[in-house]
Amino acid sequence: MTTKAVTHHQRIKQILAQSLSRAPGEIDDGDRLTDLVAESFALVETVITLQEELGIRLAQEDLRGVETVADLVRVCSERL
Amino acid sequence: MITENERWLLSFYRTSEISGSLFFGRLAKSLKPGPIQHDMTRHYADEAMHAWYWTDCLDKLGVEPLELGTAYQDQYLAAAGMPVNIMEILAITQVFERRVINQYAIHSRAEGLNELVKSTIERIVEDEKWHIKWIRDALKGMEPEYGKDTVDATMERFLEADRQVYEQTVREHGERVRELLPK
Repeated sequence: MTTKAVTHHQRIKQILAQSLSRAPGEIDDGDRLTDLVAESFALVETVITLQEELGIRLAQEDLRGVETVADLVRVCSERL
Repeated sequence: MITENERWLLSFYRTSEISGSLFFGRLAKSLKPGPIQHDMTRHYADEAMHAWYWTDCLDKLGVEPLELGTAYQDQYLAAAGMPVNIMEILAITQVFERRVINQYAIHSRAEGLNELVKSTIERIVEDEKWHIKWIRDALKGMEPEYGKDTVDATMERFLEADRQVYEQTVREHGERVRELLPK
């Protein structure tokens, strides 16, 4: 990964951790998103928070097939 | 004072208002300052008040609210998929609010309706009218960013989900709602 990509990766995971009330170190790239949230609305909230904080917009097709933290970080990074 | 079916229904409204409030409250916290954050914060406060109105109404009718597991809107995610951006959240909310106002209208016309229940519905419906208006205006304002076709298609997707969820609810709880209908 380039320095820019590493920075994006760290920032996105930081926002994700904050939204999920966890420490950044508690979230691994391979974690399944559905395992990190207590209920579906928490996942909606997290996805909205990421868009607000990063100033990006995601669509249904962007999130198709997104299952893990790494998938979500990749999709968000592509919009930055 | 009220039947067990009506107690269930008022508890169902209460649970739905609480879920709506919690969801919008969390979203209002996430959104950046601006008109949508402003209106969503009022919307969240309204839903919290509506939950209080139903709690108080049930109390004055001498019954406790029933503890219901899932709220009506929880079923939307299963039927329509997760909304992934603020436009989709507003679209699904608009569809849901229309369903709510329609349900309250049916309930308010029920024969022999308790006066306290009637006045609680009337109080809530005034707020619901504003909810529909602010969201309609916000969605209109989002058309340049998302595209009118995308906004319209999103509304249609959630309307279809709403029809499915409503049919499912009537199948599961029809006997509780039927007593509201004219004999």
